[in-house]
Amino acid sequence: MTADAPLAGRTAIVTGAGQGVGRGIAAALARRGARVVLAARRAETGEPAAQEIRDRGGDARCIVTDITRREDVERCVASTVEHYGGLEIMVHNAFQGGRLHRLEDVDAALWATNSRTAVWGSYYSARFAAPHLRRAGTRGRLLLITSPAGVEGSVNIPVYAPVKAAQRAIAKSLAREWGPHGITVNCVAPVAETPALAGAFAANPVLKERVEARTALGRVGDAERDVGAVAAFLASDDASYVTGQTIVCDGGSFLGL
Amino acid sequence: MGALGGRVAVITGADQPLGRGLALALGDAGAGVALVGDAGALAPLTAELESRNRRAVAVEARVGEREALERAFATAADELGGPVRIVVHAAVPAVAFERVAFEDVDDARWDAVWEGTMTAALAVLQASFTHLRGSGGRVVFVTPTVSMSGAPGLVAYAAAMEGQRLLAKSAARQWGPDGITVNCLAPAPEHVPIGVASSEVSLAPPALGGPGDAETDLGPVVVFLASDDAHFLTGETLCADGGVWMAP
Repeated sequence: MTADAPLAGRTAIVTGAGQGVGRGIAAALARRGARVVLAARRAETGEPAAQEIRDRGGDARCIVTDITRREDVERCVASTVEHYGGLEIMVHNAFQGGRLHRLEDVDAALWATNSRTAVWGSYYSARFAAPHLRRAGTRGRLLLITSPAGVEGSVNIPVYAPVKAAQRAIAKSLAREWGPHGITVNCVAPVAETPALAGAFAANPVLKERVEARTALGRVGDAERDVGAVAAFLASDDASYVTGQTIVCDGGSFLGL
Repeated sequence: MGALGGRVAVITGADQPLGRGLALALGDAGAGVALVGDAGALAPLTAELESRNRRAVAVEARVGEREALERAFATAADELGGPVRIVVHAAVPAVAFERVAFEDVDDARWDAVWEGTMTAALAVLQASFTHLRGSGGRVVFVTPTVSMSGAPGLVAYAAAMEGQRLLAKSAARQWGPDGITVNCLAPAPEHVPIGVASSEVSLAPPALGGPGDAETDLGPVVVFLASDDAHFLTGETLCADGGVWMAP
């Protein structure tokens, strides 16, 4: 391990890595020396993201994975371990849902989209990574990507809040349960420029102004430089004594923790 | 007359000691109390409330189904002579209390605990919206502090409790204009049969000496949250845990 490559010799899986925050985290981990598997639902996004990392000299491959399918996650982890010989860092970021709704109108389908990706995705990620993280010992890391909405609630997308909150509770409980093995479990709650946020800004032009006005640093974060860097810190040896925590990485917007 | 005189309150989960204590407190504060769930299991509590000269009725319903709850709320209103104004949701699928190492949790258990709890919480909220909208209604979720502390062997339960707590915050934000407040009461973990003592997840001893009694210590807090005096509180979590967690 060197100062430039604090994650050298480690293997990471990042779910939802085809775009947005996941893509930024994958790039940030690779830049710091990790071998990265980009678990993406669609090869059309996952392959170019992996290629971009390889073009910069990193080691990356895409494994098409639907995080809501148990067998997909199992196969992704198995294939990663077979190819790279282990798994030290599991990052679950994939999420689908997030469209505007009224709580009284929520039906089983809308709930399932949110719950399956955020919560079942966290469960499957933790479950199949567990034996490998245990083998990694004090280098074992589980990171769940949550949201400030998981702490403050959401008036526009109400069911987004409980599924993101559940991820924080999963992280705290697993942090306690896996602490004896040296594994750390943490959350990052980012706000960053992503296709999802661009869509939200396009649908609601005042939102961008409001977000920037409410943000201490006056700008929306960059998925790799701002959010990826924090994820990489939590994945590194420097964060060995940080577990069960949520780092809100939103430029100083939500200050409620 | 009491702080809740003339009101009709619905409570789920009153077949467990925690819910039972809260139901007795609601009744003693003057509310007519509808105990929703397995009517057979709730019969002794109905009798206890009646022996105290409180208005009470047990209404059979599956807590996970919105339509069933809406019918149960309507029955409660008919039987107790007024619209439902207060909903206290304390029910949790019994399987959620089982402490199991994460490696031994399978999909069926995860589904029963996480989806079972959240489906019920959502159904209770949606039925509450139907009945409380525009009436100055109160919804209180019961979410033990394990939601915030986490606990080993209880990953799915902690996730479900924190999920419920944030569902309450979202509902509070969205339904404020509809005249509905939604808050959480967070008791110490000793009040639910999960085998966790506060001392396992906190270094601080309880400032008030222990987890308290469901009826006489937690009861007044749920009565307050259900009363007119709490009209300007919404989306809040009151940790009535004897002074352990002290959140926020």
